[in-house]
Amino acid sequence: MYNKNLVDNLTTGQSKLLSSRRKESYEIYENLTKGDYKRINLFDYQFPEYSPYNKEYLKEKKWQQELMIKKMTDNLNNEEEIINYLDQFKDKKVKKGNQGLDPKYLAMVEAFYNTGLFIKAPQNVELKVPVEIFYELDQENPFLIDNNLIVAEENSNLTIVIDYRMQDQNLKAFHNGLTRVIVKENAVLNIVKVQRFNDQSDNFDSNISLVSNQGELNWIPIELGAKNSVTNNENTLIADGSRASISSVYFADGERKLDLGFKMNHQGRHSSSEIESKGVLKDKAQKVFRGDLYFQKGAGQAKGSEREEVLLLDKTVDSDSIPALFSEEDNVEGEHAVSAGQIDEQRLFYLMSRGMTKAEAKQLMVEASFNPIFDKIPLNDLKGSVINDVKTRIRS
Amino acid sequence: MSEKTEVKDVDRSLHDEKNEEKHRYKAQKGLTPEVIREISREKNEPEWMLEFRLKALKIYQNKEVPTWGADISDLDMDNIITYVRPDADLESDWDQVPEEIKNTFDALGIPEAEKESLAGVGAQYDSEVVYHNLKEELVEQGVIYMDMENAVKEHEEIVREHFMKLITPNDHKFSALHGAVWSGGSFVYVPAGVDVDIPLQSYFRQNAPGSGQFEHTLIILEEGANAHFIEGCSAPKYSVNNLHAGAVELFVNKGAKLRYSTIENWSRNMYNLNTKRALVDEDGVIEWVSGSFGSKVSMLYPMSILKGARARAEFTGVTFAAEGQYLDTGAQVIHAAPNTTSTVNSRSIAKDGGHAYYRGLLKATNNAHGAKASVSCESLMLDNESKSDTLPIMKLQTDDIDIGHEAKVGRISEEAVFYLMSRGISEEEAKAMIVRGFVEPIANELPLEYAVELNNLINLELEGTIG
Repeated sequence: MYNKNLVDNLTTGQSKLLSSRRKESYEIYENLTKGDYKRINLFDYQFPEYSPYNKEYLKEKKWQQELMIKKMTDNLNNEEEIINYLDQFKDKKVKKGNQGLDPKYLAMVEAFYNTGLFIKAPQNVELKVPVEIFYELDQENPFLIDNNLIVAEENSNLTIVIDYRMQDQNLKAFHNGLTRVIVKENAVLNIVKVQRFNDQSDNFDSNISLVSNQGELNWIPIELGAKNSVTNNENTLIADGSRASISSVYFADGERKLDLGFKMNHQGRHSSSEIESKGVLKDKAQKVFRGDLYFQKGAGQAKGSEREEVLLLDKTVDSDSIPALFSEEDNVEGEHAVSAGQIDEQRLFYLMSRGMTKAEAKQLMVEASFNPIFDKIPLNDLKGSVINDVKTRIRS
Repeated sequence: MSEKTEVKDVDRSLHDEKNEEKHRYKAQKGLTPEVIREISREKNEPEWMLEFRLKALKIYQNKEVPTWGADISDLDMDNIITYVRPDADLESDWDQVPEEIKNTFDALGIPEAEKESLAGVGAQYDSEVVYHNLKEELVEQGVIYMDMENAVKEHEEIVREHFMKLITPNDHKFSALHGAVWSGGSFVYVPAGVDVDIPLQSYFRQNAPGSGQFEHTLIILEEGANAHFIEGCSAPKYSVNNLHAGAVELFVNKGAKLRYSTIENWSRNMYNLNTKRALVDEDGVIEWVSGSFGSKVSMLYPMSILKGARARAEFTGVTFAAEGQYLDTGAQVIHAAPNTTSTVNSRSIAKDGGHAYYRGLLKATNNAHGAKASVSCESLMLDNESKSDTLPIMKLQTDDIDIGHEAKVGRISEEAVFYLMSRGISEEEAKAMIVRGFVEPIANELPLEYAVELNNLINLELEGTIG
């Protein structure tokens, strides 16, 4: 299935350099053996059959004037620029801790992507409205491999919302994605990623970023769906004063499994980072949280903090937390904190004494915990539907 | 411009004193069933122990060396002499202990300590206990404190019931090795309701180049008993890599309370791959106090298994990694019963290129409802040549629990120094105070003479350079 023929088909009509990049990646893919995700019992995972994705995922074109937005699968005339950007990710900058998604999954994206966008905010461009991308899976398009590259040039400022979603509850869909991000000097980039696949589908997603001098990157990953969801978010603060934050929310119920990896890799002096994760586990849900703060030598006066809160609603949940702090520099401030437990009985009692049912009270408390992060979703419609989805899942 | 605080190395001249080697028996290099049989024959062991050793050897030969954690590729197991017996018989009278051995122990201050208020001394010289004594009153109470070799023969039934049941040869390569070649160590049995009010202590030493030390410590506290065991390690320095793969098994029965204190100060060429485990029954308490200062490489993660309701575990540890050291330490707690509680408090210091690694595990199984646990790890880095890592893993399988974890890394806070200086304290003294304060939690947990030794070991002579 995932053979040379498929690569040849995919490169037909695609520009030259990107085509050869696909072919190189295929060589790598061929020579790798697939790793397992032991903590969520995902062994010897079989990729489903390849199929193309034919839906439009960038619905409105109103940003086209200010931004450069292109489909990675097209015949592009600026591919040299793209290749130059991609080459910046070539040398492995992270030496310690979680090494991201399994290399075979990454190579698979680079060889067989069926969608993906190149988005560039040129210098000094400030975008008031967020860029909206919808990857919607359905009966005709149950298979998504997106290869995205987002670049915020110097002094630019923009927000991008990527919504991975599906309506159909009985479809077994597959997603394996890769989003690479470059934030240049003084640029500010916010990325909201919402994943709401149904409980049959599998989700794999990698996010890798490089942040330059005084650049700022804020991630808001919201994980609400999929049977198995394995994601990784790895940020390298390569230059002085660079900043990155992750505000993550997850909700897992039924027999769903999540393996979430977050990483901040400090190289620049005065770089700062923050990882905040709030989650709820219900029924027989399983979750692994991996949060790494890594201060590489030379990252003097860097600051990093990591906070994880998890609410456990049932006896049958399984919650793993692996927060790590690696330091090669003395002049840094790093800290992490984890708290885990059930809903505070006294607060629950108070709410119930005000006339709420237990279910309503629980729901309110979960919402109260998530709201500070949901408030960062810049689109009201999306925010409303996300809150609704959480409500439905708590009740069921 | 901020100033770096200089922390001097431990003065090792006292501990790195070595004697001329003098042995009556030395096992051949390398590990074969014949070597194991010889060891067993020399010890006059019961048949079941020999069989156990041979079984463990088989497991050892089939197990892979762990690839995570420390780099132990320099360790050449085939060249490690696993069993070395010193030239002395078991003595109960100090006067009969050979002069050479006495001198080393005198330098370490052991007999003095014993004369004072200590219950008994089981000092392990090379691989066998050479000196053993226990206060008569303890014997009257039915307390057994003896070397492990004799315990196998004299208290065969109870030893057989507990020996390597908590740490099995199947656990990892080095526990298998231990099972095959274990030698020496202490056996403590405290009957129900007996309160041993003075600490029991043993001082371990290694003294032959290339010799491994595989002592086995087995402590059983019956219902409601109370005891404090102190294990201290110090070894002279040699050029050949040394291996320490001991095992400590602690059984804390209902309502019993055991405190297990260790100061490990192996010489800087030692691979310290020790395994320690405690099984705690209803209302029982295990308290670990652990100081890791020596060795080239340490991988040490004492585990507390709270199997009875309301059992409690406490861990207080300090790790000090200086030049050339990689100290990978931490605590493991498994909450396997309702309303169990645990507290882990770990401090580590890294200097001169040392690498301190905290690696911990906290697990709550599905019947650990009402469990409470808190883990706190702090690391102090004294320069930017050193490395400090923290990896506390948590695995929770039930909802009704209250788990909190905190970790911090950083250097001496300039604000704190500034504050102290504003109160009239010199910069050097301010920094010294902060570092002393940092390790105080463990010093507070030790009996006085050990706290003094701890101070000697760290020898935190702080010198600030102003200008």
